[in-house]
Amino acid sequence: MSAQKKRNFQIEAFKHRVVVDPKYAEKTWTILEHAIREIYNHNASGLSFEELYRNAYNMVLHKFGEKLYSGLVRTMTYHLMEISKSIEAAQGELFLEELNRKWAEHNKALQMIRDILMYMDRTFIPSTHKTPVHELGLNLWRDVVIHSSKTQSRLLDTLLELVLRERNGDVINRGLMRNIIKMLMDLGSYVYQEDFEKHFLEVSADFYRCESQEFIESCDCGNYLKKAERRLNEEMERVSHYLDAKSEAKITSVVEKEMIESHMNRLVHMESSGLVNMLVDDKYEDLGRMYNLFRRVQNGLVIVRDVMTAYIRDTGKHLVTDPERLRDPVDFVQRLLDMKDKYDKIISLAFNNDKTFQNALNSSFEYFINLNARSPEFISLFVDDKLRKGLRGVSEEDVEVVLDKVMMLFRYLQEKDVFEKYYKQHLAKRLLSGKTVSDDAERSLIVKLKTECGYQFTSKLEGMFTDMKTSQDTMHGFYTAVGPQLGDSPTLTVQVLTTGSWPTQPSVTCNLPAEIMWVCEKFKSYYLGTHTGRRLSWQTNMGTADLKTTFGKGQKHELNVSTYQMCVLMLFNNADQLTYKEIEQATDIPATELKRCLQSLACVKGKNVLRKEPMSKDIVEDDTFFFNDKFTSKFFKVKIGTVVAQRESEPENLETRQRVEEDRKPQIEAAIVRIMKSRRVLDHNNIVAEVTKQLQARFLPNPVVIKKRIESLIEREFLERDKTDRKLYRYLA
Amino acid sequence: MSKLGRGQREKMQQFMTITGASDKVSLQTLKASDWHLEGAFDIFYSQPQIQAHTDSRHLEKLYNRYKDPSVDMILADGISLLCTDLKVDPQDIVMLVVSWHMKAATMCEFSKNEFIDGLEALGIDSLEKFREKMPFMRSELRDEQKFREIYNFAFGWAKEKGQKSLALDTAIGMWQLLFAEKQWPYVEHWCQFLQARHNKAISRDTWSQLLEFARAVDSSLSNYDAEGAWPYLIDEFVEYLKENGVIKSS
Repeated sequence: MSAQKKRNFQIEAFKHRVVVDPKYAEKTWTILEHAIREIYNHNASGLSFEELYRNAYNMVLHKFGEKLYSGLVRTMTYHLMEISKSIEAAQGELFLEELNRKWAEHNKALQMIRDILMYMDRTFIPSTHKTPVHELGLNLWRDVVIHSSKTQSRLLDTLLELVLRERNGDVINRGLMRNIIKMLMDLGSYVYQEDFEKHFLEVSADFYRCESQEFIESCDCGNYLKKAERRLNEEMERVSHYLDAKSEAKITSVVEKEMIESHMNRLVHMESSGLVNMLVDDKYEDLGRMYNLFRRVQNGLVIVRDVMTAYIRDTGKHLVTDPERLRDPVDFVQRLLDMKDKYDKIISLAFNNDKTFQNALNSSFEYFINLNARSPEFISLFVDDKLRKGLRGVSEEDVEVVLDKVMMLFRYLQEKDVFEKYYKQHLAKRLLSGKTVSDDAERSLIVKLKTECGYQFTSKLEGMFTDMKTSQDTMHGFYTAVGPQLGDSPTLTVQVLTTGSWPTQPSVTCNLPAEIMWVCEKFKSYYLGTHTGRRLSWQTNMGTADLKTTFGKGQKHELNVSTYQMCVLMLFNNADQLTYKEIEQATDIPATELKRCLQSLACVKGKNVLRKEPMSKDIVEDDTFFFNDKFTSKFFKVKIGTVVAQRESEPENLETRQRVEEDRKPQIEAAIVRIMKSRRVLDHNNIVAEVTKQLQARFLPNPVVIKKRIESLIEREFLERDKTDRKLYRYLA
Repeated sequence: MSKLGRGQREKMQQFMTITGASDKVSLQTLKASDWHLEGAFDIFYSQPQIQAHTDSRHLEKLYNRYKDPSVDMILADGISLLCTDLKVDPQDIVMLVVSWHMKAATMCEFSKNEFIDGLEALGIDSLEKFREKMPFMRSELRDEQKFREIYNFAFGWAKEKGQKSLALDTAIGMWQLLFAEKQWPYVEHWCQFLQARHNKAISRDTWSQLLEFARAVDSSLSNYDAEGAWPYLIDEFVEYLKENGVIKSS
């Protein structure tokens, strides 16, 4: 195949062989130059757009673009110089106005010129990489007018002065400002920043530095913050009205720095008006303002939070260690709740429910509640009070609210096992004396505790409720089966308590009156008949009795007393007077209990069914007791029994503590064994850490106690020390 | 064999006095260590003792000399007599070493097997050989590893049969004996502390850890580590020393 040359067809432009008149370019340019002048002189109406456009077009076409362009530059520059002079000449107030007007005119002129020279703009300029017409116009304006030596600084000074006046309260021409600023922005963000914004920010910083210094010397914290907030809002508004939106963040950060950040500490700690005072007086608005302002600044909220935390911890510490407050446990707990409510409200109303503040509050409460070792006991007493009388007549939802608050305090406790111990004791008393306001409320709290701490915590408590219910059924069965045999004997109500579930008491029986003994035995045989293999022991320190009593003048009363008191009083059926020793012998009640019992029967005004000789307050062995014939009371039913839950005395408290410590030992050992069984080999510090972690839901184990338990386990050959590394322990299967 | 220089002869003397080894063994060991005494000790103690041949009839005779008339064991009287024969105080710590060699179960008595097997292992079948062996046994206390073994052995040996822990008085007596050798500066304070604050029996763990403590922690207790998993009794002891100004608290 022979290669045939391909013929390329070329299409060429129609070559204008028009001879270009050398003077042609010059003539055309003159026309255009004239036009530009006319435009600048506001005589544009007389011009023909079409003609001018064609002229420009032709110049470019005939390769006179360069001449056209350089001519444009020259002409425009010349005119702008004139304009610049007139602006410089403007006096005072008129300066900005003149500048503004001339700028508008320039823009209009520029538009027209660009339209005329559009062909050049689209062809010649791109190919030669020259600055397009519009941009050229702006640049020239910038260089000739704005950056003229006189105008440049004058412009800036004028603008800054107007801002200052406005800050000082004057009204300024915002529209004019906006236009001027927009002009700067149009000239390029670099121009805006260098020629205005940079200085604006500097001057503003100085301004606010001075002002804040002045304010801080003369204002209290709340007022200072109001002023700062006002200034901040002002600046934001200023930006929105006549500055570049991008300046907002910069100017606000200047205000924040000068007015807030520089004075943070001084404001927060200001005497009589600082943060602490605001907290004490519940100044929600001021606090909210402080929060909103300080959050804008780095570490602002940290300071607020730290000061608040320190204050809460301090007040809390005083509250829990004040001996006055500790006299009344219910009041003590109520104050804790009130304090929590107060700060919850502050955090919600003023601090935007900020989680970090909530956490600080929680950790503070946890800190000081545990400073007082009796907090668990007091919280239980508070609950006891509520469940016995405080919640009487309260709606279900409100009951839930109170119980939830109690749970909240419970969560702060480190020694939850101590709380459990007291709660059990108090619950037992409530159940046995039938003094609970609402069974539902009781159960509701148990459910909450179970949710919080697991099944183990509440299984025994639930057992107590079950025993109460079962006892009711048992009584029913008893009376059905044995009722007829009992005849006139005293009516007996028995609660059968499962030993493991109820708080352990040393059971010491006393001598019950014969008629009581008789019916008790009847019950015992009935019960053991239906439940073989069980053992019953009468808990005489926990019972109550209702006695129908007739006094000297025939006045009848029904006395509600404890079992011990009943035993004592029944003796007076057969004797008018008895000595302490006789009573002791007859009843066999232990001495401390007996003394307390006699005291409540003989020494309390309004309840003195017995008379004591001598009339002293204390019970001594030589005392003699008489049945008080002269006893009177407004009420038919008189309650003398003392089976109410009370704040423990110091010795009792010590005893409970000891029992708690004893209970903890096996729990710690169980935890150690569990851990070692799974890890096989572990070093000392890690064992302590693991044990603490496992037990922290109930209490905080003491590392020394853990060590002792480890040694005990070594001795009992559950663990051994490693032969080479004495810090390592090994599990012995 | 080349004649020994005076220095060498002196060293041999020293070596034999301290270790109770025979001429031949001393010479061998010193030569092996290039006549460095310390090195010679190392070698000597790391080698198993040469088993000398013992006559079982002699051993039987020796046993019968000390055996209690009513029981087939050597009891306190017998031991007393043995000590007299050996010309040592019954309280002498070397008797503890003897008991250790015999793997005696309880102090103040040796069973027949313990006595005979022990002496056989030591290569002793006469009082003379026994006496000759005494210096060697004394020297064993200076070996760290052996001392630890003897110390830990002492716990089981000194405590009552069937008890898990060692009665405080006995423990104190033992410590005073043992640490007199080892010279722990705080042994007296320790005993006082126990009598004042503890007043209960001593567990095996506490006993063995005390030695570690005495060895590991220096005399100003500067390197005592509170996180060092020492038994709590030792932690309390350190507190006690600080309270009484015996050592400076940091």
